[in-house]
Amino acid sequence: MKYMLLIYDNANTREMFAADGGEAMAADMDALLEELTQSGELIGGEALADPSNTKVVRTHDGVPAITDGPLAEAKEHFGGYLIVDCDSPERATEIAGRWPNASFAAMEVRPLMDGSGTEM
Amino acid sequence: MTGGPAFEDLLRTLAPQVLGALARRHRDFAAAEDAVQEALLAAALQWPDEGVPDNPRGWLLTVATRRLIDRLRSEQAQRRREETAAAMQPPGERVARGPHDDHGTDAAADDDDTLTLLFLCCHPALSAPSQLALTLRAVGGLTTGEIASAFLVPEATMAQRISRAKQSIKAAGAEFAMVPQPERGERIAVVLHVLYLIFNEGYTASSGPHLQRGELTREGIRLARELHRLLPEDGEVAGLLSLMLLTDARRAARTASDGSIVALADQDRGRWNEDAIGEGTALISAALARAPLGPYQLQAAIAAVHAEAADARDTDWRQILALYVLLDRLAPNPIVTLNHAVAVAMVHGPQAALRMLDELEGDERIAGHHRLQAVRGHVLEMDGRDAAAREAYREAARRTTSIPEQRYLEGRAARLAAGAAERDG
Repeated sequence: MKYMLLIYDNANTREMFAADGGEAMAADMDALLEELTQSGELIGGEALADPSNTKVVRTHDGVPAITDGPLAEAKEHFGGYLIVDCDSPERATEIAGRWPNASFAAMEVRPLMDGSGTEM
Repeated sequence: MTGGPAFEDLLRTLAPQVLGALARRHRDFAAAEDAVQEALLAAALQWPDEGVPDNPRGWLLTVATRRLIDRLRSEQAQRRREETAAAMQPPGERVARGPHDDHGTDAAADDDDTLTLLFLCCHPALSAPSQLALTLRAVGGLTTGEIASAFLVPEATMAQRISRAKQSIKAAGAEFAMVPQPERGERIAVVLHVLYLIFNEGYTASSGPHLQRGELTREGIRLARELHRLLPEDGEVAGLLSLMLLTDARRAARTASDGSIVALADQDRGRWNEDAIGEGTALISAALARAPLGPYQLQAAIAAVHAEAADARDTDWRQILALYVLLDRLAPNPIVTLNHAVAVAMVHGPQAALRMLDELEGDERIAGHHRLQAVRGHVLEMDGRDAAAREAYREAARRTTSIPEQRYLEGRAARLAAGAAERDG
């Protein structure tokens, strides 16, 4: 079963990684990624640029209107994701719980939709 | 791979034989497995141009042995003082003039090897995904790339899973040796489960862009057929092969041209594969007559009862219900109980089935599962309670992670909504 682990940041995240203890968090992240690679569970993942780089696109009557900035200002914002393929939802939440952001912002665990299905 | 299905079949048939022979002689299963993969790739490149050699098995074994020895030698050169060579041939012995016994065909030894390989790849120390991947590669002869695309994961991820599986085998202290008789039954059960999962991965895939996954169905059947040939007396092996054949027989009818799911009751039974039904039915009839009863045989028997009804309305639901009562007793699990409830609805009516479903709501293994809501919708619809049925279908559609199932369930809900609008308007 494949899951996307959505990584949430807050306004202080980058500062936290630069400050004391940041190196340890980065090391935790690297160790977890290495473990997931070794176990064959890691499918992929990306980090997103700061929300200030966002463009919002809306089309009215076929004409796109483009504005700067994220859709909504929020205390926490979507900062990146991992995709893992693991045996159980419990394992997916366990992985999410070990990502540093779970301890100061939040992680969301969401199953991916799948093209397979059975007759009912 | 190139060269067409016949060529591919030949390689896949020979793969476990060659690996068996090599692993038996050199004991280092992980290294032998890599060497055989390299030999298979070499064959896939060379044979289409140069033609299939007179003795393809001997050719593969010679190439694989050479690769294995090259590998062991280079390791040995690196760690000259370590005892890496414990199991290898003395240096200097040339493979080309190696013993003849393994280059000819010894059918009995090949059979034992294939069985030993299956047991090793389905070792209980491995996780299910590792068992599947390693079985497909080592016994099925598929490449890592083929397995990766069948499971929709990157090739690097699959390669990692396979190497991890081989490490786990080593760590568990398992060797390439036949499983002793007392443990056989338990180990066969694991092998059957792995083959069932392989089949199911392919069967649940819809057509079109996921054709590569559908190949897993063919591979699952091929491996089950091979296992049945090796263990013809085992009723559960026959039961699993029969179940696969009877299930796969419905393939052409189970999806509409747009890829959407067609329910069993609505399928065009003229499109069911009669040959597969004939073979599956004969297998299960023979097994039930002589072997001790088991869950795969019961599931195959249920599939056979469905298959013998030319029209959904002719289905012998009483017989299916009797089989589910047995299955629920022999191998109780909530999914079986759920299917049992459908049979109860067909024989005793929706009220009796709803009572069973209410009880399942209290079972945490299935309480949040979309299938429970889907069956509830179906039974409520039978009972004429359209609004409640619609809500159950919608809830099931929210919960499933399958796109075709979601479309199917939304379709059922929409049909009831349209019916209600017609009556009200």
